[in-house]
This record gives sequence, structure tokens and C-alpha cells, in this order.
Amino acid sequence: MAKTKSRQKKFDTRIDFTPMVDMNMLLITFFMLCTTMIKSQTLQIALPTNEKVEKEQQNKVKQSEAVTIIIDGKVDENGLSKPDDGTLYYFDGMPPSGEELKNLATSNPMKQIEFGNKTGGALPAVREILRERNKAVVEKIEVLKKDWKDQKFSKNEETNDSIYLAKAKEIRNDSTLKRPVVIIKATPNASYAHVVSILDEMQINNISRYQIDRINAVDSAMMVLLQGEALKK
Amino acid sequence: MGKVKIKKKETRIDMTAMSDVTVLLLTFFMLTSTFLQKEPVTVITPPSVSEEKVPDANLVSVLLSPEGRVFLEITGSKDSTFKSETVRADLIKNMQSLYNAAHPSNPVKLTMKQVETFSKLNAFGVPMSKMAQWLDMPTDERDKALEKAGIPINMNEDPNNLNEFQMWIRAAYNSVNPELQETMVKGKGIAIKADQTTPYSVASMVMDNLQTMKMNKFSLMTALKSEEE
Repeated sequence: MAKTKSRQKKFDTRIDFTPMVDMNMLLITFFMLCTTMIKSQTLQIALPTNEKVEKEQQNKVKQSEAVTIIIDGKVDENGLSKPDDGTLYYFDGMPPSGEELKNLATSNPMKQIEFGNKTGGALPAVREILRERNKAVVEKIEVLKKDWKDQKFSKNEETNDSIYLAKAKEIRNDSTLKRPVVIIKATPNASYAHVVSILDEMQINNISRYQIDRINAVDSAMMVLLQGEALKK
Repeated sequence: MGKVKIKKKETRIDMTAMSDVTVLLLTFFMLTSTFLQKEPVTVITPPSVSEEKVPDANLVSVLLSPEGRVFLEITGSKDSTFKSETVRADLIKNMQSLYNAAHPSNPVKLTMKQVETFSKLNAFGVPMSKMAQWLDMPTDERDKALEKAGIPINMNEDPNNLNEFQMWIRAAYNSVNPELQETMVKGKGIAIKADQTTPYSVASMVMDNLQTMKMNKFSLMTALKSEEE
């Protein structure tokens, strides 16, 4: 009798996963390169309306509260503005008018800060100036921030945050405190990055009242005079 | 003497665990990814400390290249009630009628096919007079042409006589999607996305153009500041 017992061949049940892993790695690389993980941030901006406002309403800003910042940039040979070079000008109070204009050469209220050829070079100086003007608000916010860090408003993190934000907003808009009004102007040579960094300073220094305006003849006259003085020295 | 038996080691490594990990990672990336949209110009936005995120729906973004070219991007609502394609198709039709009302001597006529092509494009920015011609181009040529184009814009303070850029914004404002109109009024629907090196004069012109249309609120797109205070 012949042997009928056929030997069943034992298959190896283990599958080699190496090609599978290779393929997955390739796909992961593809997805990693094609995705945008970081979403852009936004700065909200509200401009005043274009409509003509009554003269009395227009000059409401108190002399002691106004700060005008003028951003001037530099342009390279291709006509592109350089985000890391330029000059900032600023002056306190209202722009000179009438009699003051005649004496502009001797008593120029404008001061300047150089960018110093690096991004954000002038920003620490600007921050100092704005912080000084907005001291009342900044000090109150700092006290509030400490309470927020210690979770004094609520043990729940979310409620803590929302109470903090509401209180901070209240302080920023508190009209009993001395708060500056910042007027931001930029020359055509200024780059977009300059303007955004100054707008950013408003957020950092908790300034609630600021506006963007166009440069006028008095501003340019003061700038030219200041540049002339710098050249003499 | 007994023979010393050298134990043969298995050289194959079990890849199952590795495979598990990669599949998990792959799933994660597939679910979280939003693909990079093709943009006519690469724009590096300036940094800021603002923590507000850009909305991913109901948004009109104005792209400003360093050379001062203006492009527009428009996205539909979050759910599928007003898809980006629907909004864009409606936008181009609105724009067509606005443009033809202002330029009765040489009106622009777009075919159904051209409108369909337009609705699939993420960014656009060619003068309306060249729109039909641009839409008929093959994809790669169209991208190349777009880089050199840009929406015509000028200083305009007359709300009754809009320039082409303002017409696009008006067309978007009047589109079928009521949510878009709402966000545009609130200032979250219009975002200006300009490069760091874009001259401020260009950005200021765009802002002035919007201001003329009584759209005083809008947002500026920025990147997260790298250094912490």
C-alpha cells in the first residue's frame, strides 16, 4: 500500500511588512510637505469713515494725549521697500499751526529713532515711549495679569480667561485714566511690515485709541527740517 | 566531546509594530491636513503678537505682491450650503454685469464653460477685459499669465464710479452667500495679505479703496511672532 498520507506543507503565516512601511513613510512625507499646520493670524483694523466730519467734532483729541508716529522707509534699487531699514519720527501733542509754523526751524517738536539696519531695531525705543505715555493703563493691566496667572478670578481656566479679557478691555477703555491717542502715518517708502509692527506695538502696550492717517505738508516740513539738522551735525 | 551548537539568530525584524505606527501617523496627517492653496505670488506676511486666527470660511483675501500687484481669493461657507465653487460662479456673473454696466461700449461675455473654469480657481487677478482669454488658456500658461497680471486699481474716492478692484469687492458683497456679506460688514470677511516688503503706499491704496466703499473694518494677515516677550 502506497502511502496516502500527504504532508500538508506548513505555510509561514508571517507577512513581511517592510514594503508596507516603506509606502506609508512615503505617504506621510507627502502629507507632511503638503499641509499647512500654522494658520495665519489677523490684526483687526477699523478706519474712520471717509465722510466729512464737522470741524468741532474733528479736533476732539486733547493736546496732551496725542502722539504722532511717522514711519519712513528705505527703497532698494528695484523699488522694493526694505522691511529692516528706515527711520521713525514722532512728536507729542497737536501738529504746530499758525505762529508755531514760523518758528518751526528753531523749535521743532519732532524727534527721530533710527531703525539701525535690523528688523525691529527701533521697536524697543517705540515701546518705551508708548509705555511711558500709557503708564496708567499698563500698570493696571499688569496687576490684573498677575491675578490672572494666579487664577484669582476663577479656578476654571476658561472662566478665568474670559473674566481677565473682559476686565482688561474695561481698563483699556477707561476714560478716567490718562490714555494716549496715537496717530500713525507712513510715507510711501515705508513697507507694510513697518506699519504692521507699529500696529502691533499698540496691542503690546494696550493702547485702545489709535488711527492711521495720511501724511500732510506740516509733517513733511518737520521731517525735512529734522533731516537738515542731522546733516549739519 | 559535545559539539557546540551556535544558535542561528533570526535576522528578520518584525515590522508589524512599525507599520502600526506609520498608519496611525498617516491617518493623523490625512485628517488634519488642509492643502496649501496655489497662490500666484509667494507672500511672507509680517509678524505680530495677535492671536486671532484667520477664518477659513467666508473670506475674501486681497493678496498684495511686493511689486504692488493685486490678486483676490474667495472661499465659501464652512458647510456645503455655499461651496466656494458656487460663490465664485456667482461672483463672476455679478462682476460681469457690474463691469458691463460701467463699460457699455466693450462688454465682456463669458461662456458657461469659462464660468465653470473660473469657479475652480483659487486665486484670480487679471483685468476683466482679458478675462475670457485668460480662462481659455491651458492651466500652466494661465498660472504664468496670472503672475504677470493683477487687478487694475487706482486711487478712487467716488463711490458711484468704482474701479475694477472695487467692483470685485462689490460683486463679492452682493454674492449669493449671505454669510459672506455678514462677515464682510463685521470686518472679518476681508483680509489683506501683503508681503513684508510690499510698499505701504500699495496697502494704503487698497485700504482707501475699501474705505470709499464704506468698508472701514477689515483684518490684516500676519504670522505669529517667533520671539516671545
